[in-house]
Amino acid sequence: MTESSEKKRTQVDDIDRSMYDFIKDESNQEHLEAGLTPEIVREISEKKNEPDWMLEKRLKALEIYHELPIPDWGPSIAGLDMDHIVTYVKPETDQQASWDDVPEDIKDTFDRLGIPEAERSYLAGVGAQYDSELVYHSMQESASKMGIVYSGIEEALEDPKWEGIIHDHFMKLIPPTDHKFAALHGAVWSGGSFVYVPKGVQLDYPLQSYFRLNARGAGQFEHTLIIVEDDASLHFIEGCSAPKYNVANLHAGAVELFVGERAHLRYSTIENWSKNMYNLNTKRAICKEGGDIEWISGSFGSHVGYLYPMSILNGRDAKSSFTGITFAGAGQNLDTGCKVVLNAPRTKASVETKSISKDGGVSTFRSSVVATKNAEDSAATVSCQSLMLDDRSRSDTIPAMDVKCKNVDIGHEATIGRIGDDKVFYLMSRGLSEEEARTMIVNGFAEPVSKELPLEYAVEMNNLIKLEMEGAIG
Amino acid sequence: MEARIFEHASAMPAPTWYFLHMNDATIEIPAQLSCEAQAVIETDAPLGDATEFVEAMQAAQAAWDKAYGDRPVLTNAVDEQAEELGGLALSAYQKKADAMEQSKSLAAAFTQGMGEEVSDWIREMAVKTQSVIAPAGSTHTAHVQISGVNMGANMTAIDLVAHEGATLDVAIIVDSPTAGTGVTGSSLRIFAAEGAHVTVRRVQTLDDTWTDLDDMGLFAADNATIEVHQTVLGAGKTYTGLAGDLCGYNSTINVYTHYLGHGEQELDFNYVLRHHGAKSTCNLYANGVLAGSSKKTLRGTIDLIRGGKGAVGHEVDNVLLVDEGVSNKTVPNILCNEDDVMGNHGATIGHIKADQLFYLESRGLSPEQAEQMFVTATLEDAWLNAANDVTKQAVARLGNTLVENFEEVYL
Amino acid sequence: MSDALLSVRNLSAGVDGKEILHSVDLDVEEGGVHVLMGPNGAGKSTLGHVIMGEPTYDVTGGTITFGGEDVTELSPDKRSLAGMFLSFQAPVEIPGVPLSSFLRAIASARPELDMKRKEFRKRVRELADELDMDRAYLDRELGVGFSGGEKKKVEMLQLLLLKPRLAILDEADSGLDVDALSVVSRGMELYRRECNGTLLVITHNTRILEHLDVDKVHVMVRGSMVTEGDASMIADIDTNGFEQFESLAQAR
Repeated sequence: MTESSEKKRTQVDDIDRSMYDFIKDESNQEHLEAGLTPEIVREISEKKNEPDWMLEKRLKALEIYHELPIPDWGPSIAGLDMDHIVTYVKPETDQQASWDDVPEDIKDTFDRLGIPEAERSYLAGVGAQYDSELVYHSMQESASKMGIVYSGIEEALEDPKWEGIIHDHFMKLIPPTDHKFAALHGAVWSGGSFVYVPKGVQLDYPLQSYFRLNARGAGQFEHTLIIVEDDASLHFIEGCSAPKYNVANLHAGAVELFVGERAHLRYSTIENWSKNMYNLNTKRAICKEGGDIEWISGSFGSHVGYLYPMSILNGRDAKSSFTGITFAGAGQNLDTGCKVVLNAPRTKASVETKSISKDGGVSTFRSSVVATKNAEDSAATVSCQSLMLDDRSRSDTIPAMDVKCKNVDIGHEATIGRIGDDKVFYLMSRGLSEEEARTMIVNGFAEPVSKELPLEYAVEMNNLIKLEMEGAIG
Repeated sequence: MEARIFEHASAMPAPTWYFLHMNDATIEIPAQLSCEAQAVIETDAPLGDATEFVEAMQAAQAAWDKAYGDRPVLTNAVDEQAEELGGLALSAYQKKADAMEQSKSLAAAFTQGMGEEVSDWIREMAVKTQSVIAPAGSTHTAHVQISGVNMGANMTAIDLVAHEGATLDVAIIVDSPTAGTGVTGSSLRIFAAEGAHVTVRRVQTLDDTWTDLDDMGLFAADNATIEVHQTVLGAGKTYTGLAGDLCGYNSTINVYTHYLGHGEQELDFNYVLRHHGAKSTCNLYANGVLAGSSKKTLRGTIDLIRGGKGAVGHEVDNVLLVDEGVSNKTVPNILCNEDDVMGNHGATIGHIKADQLFYLESRGLSPEQAEQMFVTATLEDAWLNAANDVTKQAVARLGNTLVENFEEVYL
Repeated sequence: MSDALLSVRNLSAGVDGKEILHSVDLDVEEGGVHVLMGPNGAGKSTLGHVIMGEPTYDVTGGTITFGGEDVTELSPDKRSLAGMFLSFQAPVEIPGVPLSSFLRAIASARPELDMKRKEFRKRVRELADELDMDRAYLDRELGVGFSGGEKKKVEMLQLLLLKPRLAILDEADSGLDVDALSVVSRGMELYRRECNGTLLVITHNTRILEHLDVDKVHVMVRGSMVTEGDASMIADIDTNGFEQFESLAQAR
C-alpha cells in the first residue's frame, strides 16, 4: 500500500456510521397524496412540463403496474404498503448551477457525504439527487468541452436536441412489462441523470452521482440513462444513502445503459441505503459489437434488496464483467446477483461475486446466464463465494444457466462456508485480536471488488465492512 | 384411465425467475392408458408392505427425539430495527424452511423428488407398495424389471428398508423390449438405518415413444450410506426426481447420474439433498451428452440446514453439447443457514474442453470423432457397469437402434 | 532438406504474443533414440506440444517436417494419423468415457488397427498384462481416480497399441515410484523392440535413460536449442548440471 492511501484510510476510518443517519427537516416539502392513481401520475407529469409521449408512457406503465403480480420467489415485500406510501417527494429547491446556491441544509447533507470534496479531488462531474429531484449538478469544463453531456434527465428532455434521443431509448431496455416495480418506475419516475458520450470520446476520470432519500416513508424513482457512442469510454459511479426510519422506504430506480460499438462503460455502485429501505432497483446494459460493460457493485444497505444488473451482449465480441459484493447484516434480506444474455457470436461474460451473511442477515446470490442460438463461440464463467459468519444467518445461491448453442463454454463454480479457524489462529498468533483477524479476512474476501473501485470508494467500502464487523465476536 | 397433467412436478424448493421456465416440470399423462402394475421383483430378501418404511421412520423419529429433541431450534437473529419493520423479510421458501425446522418432524421433512402429487399418483397406479427388507446385519440383493406395456401406465412402488448394518443392492432396469407407447414409472422410498448401506442402480433404455417417471425419496440415519446410480439413455420424455434427507451423523448420499439425450428427447432432473446431520456428506455428480435436438433441465439443490455442523455438499453437472439444436438448463442451488459447512457446486456446459480435445486429437481423433466417442462411450459405460445380464441386453438393444452395429462393434 | 524422420527448422512459437520457443532446430533420425534435456522452464515440454500441434500455442515462424511432409499446419489428429505420438506429462481425465471405449475409438480411426472386437480386446488385455496394469482399469472412466503411475501406464499402453513411427515422451518419468518407472522403461524397450520405433525422450532427469541406448542428446535453455552431442553428455550433465549451457543461451 502506498503511503498516501494509508493516510487516507486512517482519515476515513474516523467517520462513524451515524453520519448516514442524520435526518433533515422535511416539513416544508410538498408531499403528493399517498396511493397511486392516474391523477397522481398526471400531476407528476404536469409539474415536470414534460412531452405528451412521456405522459402516455407513464399512464401505460401504470396500467401494467396494476396488472402485474408481486414477485413471490424472493424476499417478502409485505412490509411495503403501496396504497399508503408517499410516492413522490419534491425537495423545496430547484436544480442549482452552483454549489453555493444549494440550500444550506441540503448542502450540509452532501458535504457530510463528501460529495463536493470528491468532485474537487478528481471526479469529472457530480449529480446529486435529493429525494426525487436533482438538486446539484456540475461537470468539469474539460469534460463538457469534449462534448460530453451530463445533466438531469428532465432538463435534457426540455432540450429538443436530446428529447428525440431520450424518446428512442427511455424504458426501451427495461420495459414496464419486465416486472411490477419496473412498471411502477415507468409510471412515477422522477429525477435521475442523462449522460451522453459522443463517438470516440474517452473520459479518463469518472462521473459521479449520489442519491439520497431523506423523507420518511418515501419512494425514490430516479432514472439513469447513459449512452456511450461507438469507440467512446466512460466510468460512472453512483452512491446511495438514506437516514434510518422505522417505516419502510422504497427505491425503484431504473438504469439503462447503451454501449456502442467498441465502446466501454464501467458502472460502479456502492449502495448503502439505510436498513428500512426496500431497494427494488433495475439496471440493464446493452452492448453492440465489441462493446464492453463492466459492473462493479457493492450492496451493504437496505432492509430488502432485489438487485440484478443485466447485460445483453447483442453484437459480436461484446463483453460483460460483473464484480459484486453483498454484505447482509442484522435484519437484512438481500437478494442480489446478475443476469447475462449472450446473443451474438464470440461474446464473453464473467461474473465474480462474494457474499457475506452475519447477525441473522440473509444473502441470496441469484443469477442467470442465457446463451441463445446466436452465441456461437461465446464463453461465460460464473464464480460465487459465500461466507457465513455465524449460524444465525442464511446464505443461498441460485445460479441458473440456459444454453441453446452448441459451440459455447459455460462454466460455473460456487463455494459456501465460514472463515477457517486455522486462518484466524494464524493471524492471532501474529498478535491480531480475533476481531481484527476476522475483519482482515473479510476485507481480503472483498478485495476483488474493492480493487476495482476508485480509492475513495474502496476506502468507504472497507470502512463499511469494518463497521459491520465491529462487535462481530460474541 | 383419465389424462393427468402435473403442472408443478419436480419443483425446486427455492424458485427463481419464471422467465427461465426452470422452476419445475409439467408432466402430461395421456388419456386411455390401461393401469398396469407389472414390475418383476426378484430378491433373496424378505418382502413386506408399506408399513415397514413407516415404522422405520417412526423408530428414527424416536431416536432423533431422544438425541436432539431438547435442542432448541434456532432461527435467524433479528435486530430491533427489523422488528419495527415486521421482522426479517423472509421469502416464502425461507419461511417454509424455518417452519420445517421448528416442527422437528422427520416425516414432515421427508419428501420425494417429484413432489407429493406425482408420488401419490404413481403409488395409486402401482396398486400396492412392496417393501424389500434387509434385516439388521444382513446382505441382500434385488433385481427389478419394469417393461413398457403398450398403451399402458406401468407403475411400481417399492420401499427399500435396510436395518442396522445391513447391505442392500438393488438393480432396476426400465426397458421397452416390444414396440409400443405408454408410460413407465417407479416411486421408491429408501430407508438406511444406522450403518446400513443401500445401493440402487436404475438404468432406463426405453424407446422414444415412451415416457418414464423416476421418483425417489431417501432417508439416511447415523453412519448410513445410500448410493444411487441413475443412467438415463432412452425415453422420449423422462422425469427424474430424487430427494434425500441426510439426518444421521456422518450419513452419506452419493448420486451419480449419466445421461444421453438424442433425437427429440426431453430430460428433466430434480435433486434435493437436505443435510440435517452433523458431518453428513453428499455428492451429486451428473455427467451427460446431449445430441440431436434433445433438451435437458437439471435442478440440483443442496440444503445445508442449521445444526448440520461439519456437513459437506458437493454438486457437479458436466454437459457435452454435441449437435446444434440441443438445449441445456442447469441450476445448481446451495441453500445454507449453518456456518460450519462446506458446500460447492460446479457446472461446465458446452463443447469438449480444450485440454481434453487436444489429448483426443493427439491420438488421432477428429473433433467430430471425439464427440461421437462420447455418445457411444455413454452406452458402453452403461453396459460395462450393468448390474446384470438383463440390463446388459437392454443397453445393447437400445444401442443397436442408436448406433449402427452397436453390439457387434462396441461390446 | 534433411532426411531425418522429424525435422524442426527455425521454429518459433508462443502464447498470447509472448514467445517461448526461439528459432529452434531439431532433427530426429528414423529408428534413433534422442533425448531432449534442459533445466525446468527451458521450453522442452512446449516444444513437444508444439510438434504435436497444440492449438494453445501460436507458431510464429519456422517449419515442422515429419516423414518428408510439412506438418506445421496440420491439426493434431492428422499428425497422429501420420505416425506421431506424444505421451503427456499430465494426461487429462475424461469422465464418462471408459478407457476401453477410448482405446477402441483411437484404434478404429486407423485402418491398420482394424480388428475384430474379440481380437482387439485380447490385444488390449495382453498389453495391460505386459505393463502390469490391472485389467479392471479398462472398464473405468479414463484417468478418473487413476494414480500418476496408472496414468503413465495408460500412455505406454496407447504407445504400444498405436505403434507410431515417432514417440515423443514428455517427462514420462516425472513423479513416478520405482516400480512405475520400470514399467515406463519396459514400455520404451518394448516399443523399440516390437515397432523399431523412433524415440524423443524429454526429461530433466537422467535416471530414465539408464536402460536406453541413446544416440543423441539435445539441450535446451530458455527456449533455445543450445547444444547437442552423443550419449556421453548425459553423464556430464549428471555431474555438472545445466549451468554450463547458460552462457550459450545468452550468446543467442
